[in-house]
Amino acid sequence: MAVSVSTSSIPSLNSDRSNRFATSAISSSSPGLRLSSYSSSLLFPLRIGTGGLSSSSRRKRILPVVKAKKQTFSSFDDLLAKSDKPVLVDFYATWCGPCQFMVPILNEVSASLNDKIQVVKIDTEKYPSIANKYNIEALPTFIIFKDAKPFDRFEGAMTAAQLIQRIEDALKIKQ
Amino acid sequence: MTVQASTSFSFGISSFVIPPARSRHRSVIRAQVEPSEKSVEIMRKFSEQYARRSGTYFCVDKGVTSVVIKGLADHKDQLGAPLCPCRHYDDKAAEAGQGFWNCPCVPMRERKECHCMLFLTPDNDFAGQEQTVTLEEIKESTANM
Repeated sequence: MAVSVSTSSIPSLNSDRSNRFATSAISSSSPGLRLSSYSSSLLFPLRIGTGGLSSSSRRKRILPVVKAKKQTFSSFDDLLAKSDKPVLVDFYATWCGPCQFMVPILNEVSASLNDKIQVVKIDTEKYPSIANKYNIEALPTFIIFKDAKPFDRFEGAMTAAQLIQRIEDALKIKQ
Repeated sequence: MTVQASTSFSFGISSFVIPPARSRHRSVIRAQVEPSEKSVEIMRKFSEQYARRSGTYFCVDKGVTSVVIKGLADHKDQLGAPLCPCRHYDDKAAEAGQGFWNCPCVPMRERKECHCMLFLTPDNDFAGQEQTVTLEEIKESTANM
């Protein structure tokens, strides 16, 4: 299945090395690149692209030409707390068919709703503790977090239109 | 070289994913552990037979079918049983031993409910017309994983 990548940032957590979560955003210049495999190779704290929070990065990062945002978080809770927008979290697994089906759809949705919501993907096999915390069973499970708390939750694959509708319905109440 | 290693595999086919240079900060070659070809073939045959037997059809997007078949094969390799790949478990080994979620799972057997989108009833929006999937199709649609 081809992975089509959009211009917006979709961090994914898939490396369970330590408490350090490396999330990375993929830009449109990386066709065929698996989002979920990107950040698992990153073992070190990352330099922040916007604002330089982490000055202790051991690795010199060369930022790609197109837009990509890298941030370091000490935990998933940290990621949620630091987000200025609601967060859509996709709990997935590598060999889950519907989860892979949703990859291009999430790219599309993330691009269309770029300023309204942040999309994050969590590999439940690499981060089982987070999956357990939110009682994830069927995959894919999507949870929309508002103010760092689960606000809406739904399972299964769907079309981009359906997903956008679902997100907008959830966000409407906030506004 | 960063290697993602899983448990042991016999006929493991490692596909190396080399990301395009312009978007990577350093070149990384990573081996993706794949299910054994033998298990994939077993689960492929099983899927075709079971689709026929249950009167269900594969997804219009055979990529979904392929990923699930590989997921079943992967669990078969690791756990000895084809545990449903579209679920998160506390203890996979225990679940495989218990059997509820071993493919074909109880919800599928009782109500033809397959949330993996492997076996789809004809009325399902995503259901295609086919009850066959070739090894070629599986390899091609999962080549970039």
